[in-house]
Amino acid sequence: MSNKANAPKLIINGKRIDGRDFNQLRPIKITAGILKNADGSALLKWGNNIVLAAVFGPQKAISKHFADPTKAIIKCRYSMAPFSSKGEHSRSGPNRRAIEISKVTKEVFENIIFVNDFPGSEINIFIEILQSDGGTRAAGITAAAVALANAGIHMKDIVYAVSVGKVGDELLLDLNMIEDNYSDCDMPMAISPRNGELLLLQMDGDIKQDEIKRAISMAQEAGKTISKIQQDSLLEIYKNVDKQIGVNGV
Amino acid sequence: MRNIILPGMLAPNEIEKTENVYIENNKIYSKVVGLYDDEKKTIIQLEGNWIPKIDESVVGIITSSKGNVYEVELFFFGRGLLISNKYDNIRFNVGDVISASVKDVEDYKTVILWNPKALRGGTIIQVKATKVPRIVGRSNTMVEQIAQLTACNIVVGTNGIIWLRGDAISVATEAIRKIENEAHTTGLTERIKVMLEEEMLKLNSIKQ
Repeated sequence: MSNKANAPKLIINGKRIDGRDFNQLRPIKITAGILKNADGSALLKWGNNIVLAAVFGPQKAISKHFADPTKAIIKCRYSMAPFSSKGEHSRSGPNRRAIEISKVTKEVFENIIFVNDFPGSEINIFIEILQSDGGTRAAGITAAAVALANAGIHMKDIVYAVSVGKVGDELLLDLNMIEDNYSDCDMPMAISPRNGELLLLQMDGDIKQDEIKRAISMAQEAGKTISKIQQDSLLEIYKNVDKQIGVNGV
Repeated sequence: MRNIILPGMLAPNEIEKTENVYIENNKIYSKVVGLYDDEKKTIIQLEGNWIPKIDESVVGIITSSKGNVYEVELFFFGRGLLISNKYDNIRFNVGDVISASVKDVEDYKTVILWNPKALRGGTIIQVKATKVPRIVGRSNTMVEQIAQLTACNIVVGTNGIIWLRGDAISVATEAIRKIENEAHTTGLTERIKVMLEEEMLKLNSIKQ
């Protein structure tokens, strides 16, 4: 969080700095199956964020001593492109922030993938942030979930993620970069739409107990829209499929 | 009616096979991006790498031999094992390409093979395992058509490895790639036939 002294006014006449309502998402567009060489992939545009996610696997675990004979191991790499942002955190390479986000993303998917179906294998998830404007970890998880489904990995659900923040007494959905930098609190969440289960909840700043509950329900409400976009992106691939012959003639 | 189904979606109530689904709180959900088949009452997986099943026929490469046990590379996350008994008069060397059937799958990842056949010479290509049924075609029509028109020997493994031998491998490979890319379209058998005939004419004119 940046210095509050020179903070811009984040709420003007009941509207946010980019003209959105408090519970309004930025426009989201997902294209699934965009990379030919990857087993599964997705390109996500979320406001000014552009995220590319690719999934490889299940494949033989590289470094055999890492392999677990009872379950698949999941590896995740979140990385920001050097040109993704003007800020300092877009410096290329595995820095402290990227390692942390890779770890939490990996833990989200460990809870949702049927790892016991692929013992001794590894599943690689790569998330590249091509352009960043706040909320990239949420965008990364949302894109990676579509890429995993596209790769045919057995999983319980298509996870989505979104952040909720606090400015003054108001809760704001889906913070952008400026709101993220100057808000009182930022809370990214990853949720399983099937039952509303929370898979990731991080918090930076101060928030009241009842506001946390409100924030979670705000994220779950927004999740209906995000889930619909995720599902539509996957269904788009099979739009022209002849239902009689099936996709693969089976 | 066949409907596309996504992970986390409720499966239709009348589903009979537990393949590709899981049960939570007495409800059945799909694990995969799939197609619900009304006749077989099952979900067919549309994407993903090969998952071994008993009785499938596969193509692999021998990577090591110790006594009568051969390890076979099947191009998936597990490994293939071929145990020959004393009645088999067949010996393989490291690097040989074989076709075999799956006898047993242990713990999802160790595939026990039997009925090995050596595939001498030729070349192998890899395709997506989910596209194999389309390449084979209904009652082998598609693969037989390619084999006949290009005069190639072709063995298709369900693990996505295809072995080819003949003079017109390039034409056969091109046809297989075309099927892989256009697997979901109708009238493919006819288009492949036209394409193969044209390509073979070109190839023969070059030879003359």
